[in-house]
Amino acid sequence: MYSSETTTMSRTSRSWSGFMHNHRWNMTGVAVTLIALVAAACTDPTVAPTSTVTGANYFNDPGSYRAFLAKAYAGLAVGGQNGGDGSTDIQGIDGGFSQYMRLYWEMQELPTDEAVIAWGDQTLPELNTQGWNASNTFVNAMYYRVFFQVGMVNEFLRETTNAKLASRSVSGALLAQVHTYRAEARFLRALSLWHGLDFFGDIPLLTENDPLGSIPQQSTRADVYNFVVSELTAIRDSLPLPGASSYGRATGPAADMLLAELYLNAGVYTGAPNYVGALTRASAVIAAGYTLAPNYFNNFQADNNTSPEMIFAVPEDGIRTQTYGSTNFLIHASCGNSMNASNYGVDGCWYGLRLKASAHDLYAAGDVRATAFYTSGQTVAVTQISNFGAGIPNPKFTNKTSGGATGSNASFADTDFPMFRLGEAYLIYAEAQVRGGGGDTTTALLYVNRLRLRAFANDSTKMVVDSQLTLPFLLAERGRELMWEGHRRTDLVRFGMFTGGTYLWAWKGANAYAGDSTAVATDAHFNLYPIPTNELIANPNLKQNTGY
Amino acid sequence: MKPLLEMMSVAGLAVLCAAPLCAQETGAVRGRVTDQATQQPLSGVTITVANRSALSQSDGRYLVTAVAAGSYTLRARMIGYGAATQEVTVAGGDTVTVDLSMTGQAVRLSEVVVVGYGTQRAGDITTAVTQVSSKDFNTGTIVSAQQLIENKIAGVQVVDNNEPGGGLSIRVRGTASVTASSEPLYIVDGVPLGTGSGGGLSAGRDPLNFLNPNDIASITVLKDAASAAIYGTNASNGVVLITTKSGEGRTRVEYGSGFSAASVTRRPSMLSATQFRAAVTQYDTADVAQLGTANTDWFGLVSQTGIGQQHNVAVSGSGASNNYRLSLGYFDQNGILKGSSTKRVAVNVNYNQRLYDDRLGLKATLTGSRAFDEFTPNGVLYNAAQMGPTQPVFDPASATGFYNWPGNSLTSPDNPVEVLNGALDHGTTYRSVGNLQAKYDFSRFLSLRGLNGTVDLGYDVTYADRVNFYPNNIHLQTKNGTNGSYFRSQNQQLNTVLDAYVDYAPPVSVGPGTLDFTAGYSYSQSHANYPSIFANQLQSNLLRDAGIPQTASPPVSSFNVQDSKLISFFGRAGYNVNDRYLVSASIRRDGSSRFGAGNQWGNFPAVSVGWRISQEPFLRGVTAISDLKLRASWGKTGNQAFGNYLYVPTYQFCNSQAQVQFGNQFVCPARPSGVDPNIKWESTRTWDVGADFTLLDQRLAGSFDWYNKHTVDLLFNEVAAAGQFLSNFVTRNIGSVKNTGFDLSLTALLRKTSPTGGLFWTTSLNVSHNTNALLTINPNAVGITGSRILTGTIAGGVGSTVQVLEPGQPINSFFVCQQTYTAGKPAEGLYKTLAGADTTACARGSNTRAFHDPAPHWMFGFTSDMTYRHFDLSVTLRAWLGNYVYNNVASNSGDYRELTAGSSPYNLHSSVLATRFMTQQLLSNYYVEDGSFLRMDNIAVGYTFPWQAQQLRAYVNVQNAFTITGYSGVDPTAGVNGIDNNIYPRSRIITGGLNVQF
Repeated sequence: MYSSETTTMSRTSRSWSGFMHNHRWNMTGVAVTLIALVAAACTDPTVAPTSTVTGANYFNDPGSYRAFLAKAYAGLAVGGQNGGDGSTDIQGIDGGFSQYMRLYWEMQELPTDEAVIAWGDQTLPELNTQGWNASNTFVNAMYYRVFFQVGMVNEFLRETTNAKLASRSVSGALLAQVHTYRAEARFLRALSLWHGLDFFGDIPLLTENDPLGSIPQQSTRADVYNFVVSELTAIRDSLPLPGASSYGRATGPAADMLLAELYLNAGVYTGAPNYVGALTRASAVIAAGYTLAPNYFNNFQADNNTSPEMIFAVPEDGIRTQTYGSTNFLIHASCGNSMNASNYGVDGCWYGLRLKASAHDLYAAGDVRATAFYTSGQTVAVTQISNFGAGIPNPKFTNKTSGGATGSNASFADTDFPMFRLGEAYLIYAEAQVRGGGGDTTTALLYVNRLRLRAFANDSTKMVVDSQLTLPFLLAERGRELMWEGHRRTDLVRFGMFTGGTYLWAWKGANAYAGDSTAVATDAHFNLYPIPTNELIANPNLKQNTGY
Repeated sequence: MKPLLEMMSVAGLAVLCAAPLCAQETGAVRGRVTDQATQQPLSGVTITVANRSALSQSDGRYLVTAVAAGSYTLRARMIGYGAATQEVTVAGGDTVTVDLSMTGQAVRLSEVVVVGYGTQRAGDITTAVTQVSSKDFNTGTIVSAQQLIENKIAGVQVVDNNEPGGGLSIRVRGTASVTASSEPLYIVDGVPLGTGSGGGLSAGRDPLNFLNPNDIASITVLKDAASAAIYGTNASNGVVLITTKSGEGRTRVEYGSGFSAASVTRRPSMLSATQFRAAVTQYDTADVAQLGTANTDWFGLVSQTGIGQQHNVAVSGSGASNNYRLSLGYFDQNGILKGSSTKRVAVNVNYNQRLYDDRLGLKATLTGSRAFDEFTPNGVLYNAAQMGPTQPVFDPASATGFYNWPGNSLTSPDNPVEVLNGALDHGTTYRSVGNLQAKYDFSRFLSLRGLNGTVDLGYDVTYADRVNFYPNNIHLQTKNGTNGSYFRSQNQQLNTVLDAYVDYAPPVSVGPGTLDFTAGYSYSQSHANYPSIFANQLQSNLLRDAGIPQTASPPVSSFNVQDSKLISFFGRAGYNVNDRYLVSASIRRDGSSRFGAGNQWGNFPAVSVGWRISQEPFLRGVTAISDLKLRASWGKTGNQAFGNYLYVPTYQFCNSQAQVQFGNQFVCPARPSGVDPNIKWESTRTWDVGADFTLLDQRLAGSFDWYNKHTVDLLFNEVAAAGQFLSNFVTRNIGSVKNTGFDLSLTALLRKTSPTGGLFWTTSLNVSHNTNALLTINPNAVGITGSRILTGTIAGGVGSTVQVLEPGQPINSFFVCQQTYTAGKPAEGLYKTLAGADTTACARGSNTRAFHDPAPHWMFGFTSDMTYRHFDLSVTLRAWLGNYVYNNVASNSGDYRELTAGSSPYNLHSSVLATRFMTQQLLSNYYVEDGSFLRMDNIAVGYTFPWQAQQLRAYVNVQNAFTITGYSGVDPTAGVNGIDNNIYPRSRIITGGLNVQF
């Protein structure tokens, strides 16, 4: 074979050589061209996702505006995009743990005289005793919850500017609707910024004008406060009117109520109290037509959406809005030992929450508000945090309707979280009045005694008189009326009793991991939660709160 | 063909005559070079006549041209062979034919090693590459290909999870990523298998289980960047090249079978019924009334002797211009926990046809298999540990006939036998990987001699069906209101790849040495569908795993499509001066769909040099050194083994259980994602300095490598400044990590077989040492103490973690408090602060500290093979030093409070008898145990019968014969992350079988 080729070679004429020479290069040329063509056709690696909705096409659907706004509401109600807090909004923590209202509740209640939680989940015990540090998982998560809300709202506002709406030809009823949505979004941003400034003090003030990608700057607590107040004032009249169709949404009275909360605590936030503002806004809420629910517990049951007292609630639903946080957490975690879960409309007990003895002792005999307490086999004193038998459970929230029926799903409560209700507006009026915010004592007494009469089954001997309407009374009455509703830490800070030694209760300042409940005066730096360690690393512009 | 042939010949002559030398009196020498032993042609032999030289081609032929007339000594040399010489006289205008045969000397050096897009001779390699061929594979009951090389390669850590065929992890020279995968790239017969553990999609255990280990001819691991960089962006974790067997020689039928029995080596240490009763009586008086009188061994009830069998038939052979191999394998292994098993039927076809006088080679390789995996349902293993041993198995009064603690509390353990009896969990995977290769040798075009063109068309197709069913009446389901659940996913994936490349080795020397080039283009794409459905609140159990009956709440389904693309250009050049000085360089340019505009393309260069110092005159006289090559390499590789579309802002809609109420309506919220549009690949720069040596008349051979891998742009899905993006965690390139270490492997031929038989004994040892340290996890964090990311989720409180990513510490170091001891016993609630003072708090962020890590710092593998007459014996030992394990079974149930934590008591870990802890001490370093061990991995004894002129070998094999360790849990190799939370126990497997060929 090889030799035959050689023979052939020797017989060939030279004239071929030039051809082959050229031909060789032609072949190379063809090959190069071919490769270049193929390569040009196959050198773009871009692949667009096909089964996900991207920013490029999302707003092609007119329903997108409502769905986006709904996320800002959902951020309060569920931990993520799937029921039961799946596909979580914030990461670094279990979905159920990260649910906004659950975190909010834990940070407002556990470090106070009102509640303890038995569980040993990492860093959770430290909340019971004001023993947290800047690495606390729950404090960390709350910080990011606040900014998740702010981020959602800012992005919504950026996507709904007049220019953007015009470019997408949004007009008519939808345009009017989107304008209302923008006001609601701004309410939700104000609400979370309030939580942020209340918990953390100096936080970044981020608006829709701050572009994504840049590292935020820290603002002062007063700046954030002023922004929130100005926002609420600006949008108050653009919000939907109260009524069945706006249940669960921000309304004018909800904005007033939020302003009242801000003004009431203005002294803490800015150093300059504004009790006049608090009284004015509380009066506006009271004038909006709400009435007290006949039964105190109507506000905490599976059908509490029907309570005439509700100003702003975070709606939950056993079928359609499922979370392990919010009221579902409160109901399950308040159950344990010999309690029968089905009495509270749920499928099991989580053996978690009890009253601290100091909270139990706030109530006088005959107070309806204490009738939910479960005492069988329980001790009043919380001798051991991790033992559910120590401390009185307070199953005030239930998944039973006012008619006694179980909610739609024993695993997930229907009960809405009552963030603002008329009862508190009365108490704000009274406190602002006592603190010199104007108004009159008669009205203040009228409001307080409406609550007292309901609490004591219309027993007029339990009504208070002028001389009894003092600040200590009001703090205690707020404790009784708003027990476990997520107000206590703010209240104690305002009264100067949260930290320090003025007011000591068992477990305050104690070692959450040891067995000694003796109260110890705590340092004033605990009035603010720390900026999370992680955040200080991620954002070098931030300065840690004093004392951490 | 004739006209074309002629044309070629003319061209050849034309080229020859065009040369200026044509006019002078010159001649040529041609011929063929073969291996003396095998008579097979040898390619790559350098033939030198006077000052002219040439390389032999794949058919062994060579042609040295333009040799001035005269008499010369023709020299032929190739690495691994003794030089051959022959006197030759060249006359002007004449062509002399000289055929040569060469004698192999150091076979190892001439062995063909598979590398990226080609092969190289072992002796020419200047990078860190280790190839293990089938004769050196591990034996016994092997489910997955990775197990074949477990302990065999220095620097390669294989971690299996003990289940039959369970997911395996490989770490090549340490872990170099946190967020992206740290698994190597697998390439089977030229087809890349996607990234991640086992390389692809599976409904069951390790995706690589689709391969029948008996079909594998060799496994090559490219360990350093210089060898792997030709695979660019998927090469940072090393590359594992798997080549399946092909046929040769006469027609041959092989049959092998094995039967095995597996048993539990060690079980979790829980309290006995008597101890449990005593504990409840003392510490949980309220629950004493619930205690039964039984003495139930729950673990015993859910474990078993796992019986298995395997059968393999293969037909192979070759014709004049083709060769083939066909095989069929069946594998069936039951787990040592009831309900777990794996079964596989696999076919492998390898066909090679040579056409046009062997110039065109067509090769088809195809593997297809069906794997059926059954899993012990979730809820069996941990409940077997936690269920009270005083309680009975059965309760005639209950709906299922099985006993459970009274009440319906969320907080009591479940009867594991009830779960096992009712629940089903299995997966079926069909997978086929195939490649069609056309390779053309252009040597008939004289001017293109030495040029080969190759086109590969490969595919990898998978259908993976996973089903999971829990009946509605078992306690595990009723207690939390799930009331029966059904999950099914039917994932499909198709990957296709086109590779086109040429390799060119000019037949004449270029300057003082020879050159070779490879250059090519690769296009691969992947398309996958992930449909799944989940339902709970099942109204009936009658359908079991076959379908979804009526449900009280609507089933939830999801569907997800993933597409990706990788486009590459690559090239490699090598230069070899007398086999003494070797240089190689490669580059790959990759374009990936995983990144946004501006970050799609990356370049991955590498360079390596080798110096065969034993060829230098000053070492030629040293007879003890048969061969010694020093080498050094540097290269850059990438890692993009993470999700698609991470740079794309998307909107995610809710599911029907996460709507919000707007007045009387419910609205499904949509959430925009938080992304960093600028993410890019992680990149690793690796230095490798090493030596390959053969000493003492080839009785001792080995290699040594020192390496330094520096990975930058490490991806972390980590906290971004609040408000910077739309999510608090965003995946960004913010970290760096370093792995430094060395690999040493030695093989000694202790006794050679004499011609009359006798003892043949080889032994090999490999040693690896690796040090891993995170350098940065966030550029902003420099100088800030407490810059940490918590990892390592454990049982014991939701969200509890026990590991940390911290600059300066190894990846996933344990993050615990230092326990105080009194009288040798851990003192409950007494710890040391970082400053060393006593404290009663063990709080994360204040006195927790990095403390050891799960990766072994030293790994040893030792194999010894002996044959004596008809007997053979093989022993493999393994040892790891410096790997630590967190005993989560002990920490989660090692305290008396667990008795009272729920409505019914949990069983406790026996460590409580020593610690007498009253409450959980999850973060105590007491539970971080030294996992160092020595294990007799494999003992195989065989006897070969001469049977009708054929060979029949019968063998007995023991895997995991024994383990010596101080670790108190079930297995010190508790996964890559070293957290032992009721891990699947390790089994001891005894296999007996026979192999025959005829």
